[in-house]
Amino acid sequence: MNIFISGGCKNGKSHHAQELARNMSREKSLPLYYLATMIPCDDEDRARIRRHLSEREGWGFETIEQGRDICRALDGYTLSGEKVSPKGVFLLDSVTALLSNEMFPPGGEVSSDAGDRLAAELSEFARRTGNTIFVSDYIYSDARIFDSYTENYRRALAHIDRTLAALCDQVIEVSFGFKYMYK
Amino acid sequence: MILIFGGAYQGKLEYALHNFQIKENDVFCCGESTEIDPSYSVIYGLENFIMGCVKEGKEAKEILAEYESLLKDKIVIMTDISQGIVPMDPAERSWREMAGRTMLYLGERAQTVIRVFCGLGQKIKG
Repeated sequence: MNIFISGGCKNGKSHHAQELARNMSREKSLPLYYLATMIPCDDEDRARIRRHLSEREGWGFETIEQGRDICRALDGYTLSGEKVSPKGVFLLDSVTALLSNEMFPPGGEVSSDAGDRLAAELSEFARRTGNTIFVSDYIYSDARIFDSYTENYRRALAHIDRTLAALCDQVIEVSFGFKYMYK
Repeated sequence: MILIFGGAYQGKLEYALHNFQIKENDVFCCGESTEIDPSYSVIYGLENFIMGCVKEGKEAKEILAEYESLLKDKIVIMTDISQGIVPMDPAERSWREMAGRTMLYLGERAQTVIRVFCGLGQKIKG
């Protein structure tokens, strides 16, 4: 079962997603993978990654580092050197980070078709695995008129979110511990 | 009145067109002005109308009250701009607050209120 989760920042999305992923892997006796999407660029990022790693300790996740070209993770290896099985359970946290990496690659060029590309890649990822939990961020209710970079990013993320919400079997909004199931 | 709201780019208009069998040429798109044309079935982008009210120093719900009987059988669509950081710009701050007051006003009068999240609707009234 593919699941899409979104909601505001620091609302408990990741924790809920981790629980769903772990339960799914136990019920189906499938390997449990965590797709680490952040590409660290400074000490703050590295500290955040260490904190995330320690938060997941004991959950049984095998970590796969994949910040771009997400479908490549299915033919790759985990951090501990094992071959990835595409039929495992995958927790992808987060769609937001992936889009940043794809849209703003190092070197300064902005990839304007990143939203369409990533929507297609993630649809393929969902189809190939069948057991992925996607986590995104609901960043659409600001009272701001943003610059065009930010506005393009928001529009692209919304396009991906809507694509995933349409194809996933379950869609959940997490709002401060309260969960609403749209599907 | 049916009120449809949700964040930016969530597919609110598509949701209305699809679920209430509305034709695209039956949609009034609000600009940043105090003008509203209630001859259309759908009043879309009410947040722009509210920005128009801010710029002209008017209160949106007072103008909407003048149209109250005409808006009874309409679908009103508005972007929820209430959940971000308080803007630095005074006009954007007023916009955000007026949008909140307008949503309360409309939510009270609407028979049906639907929130659209990533293209999916959640009926929260009616």
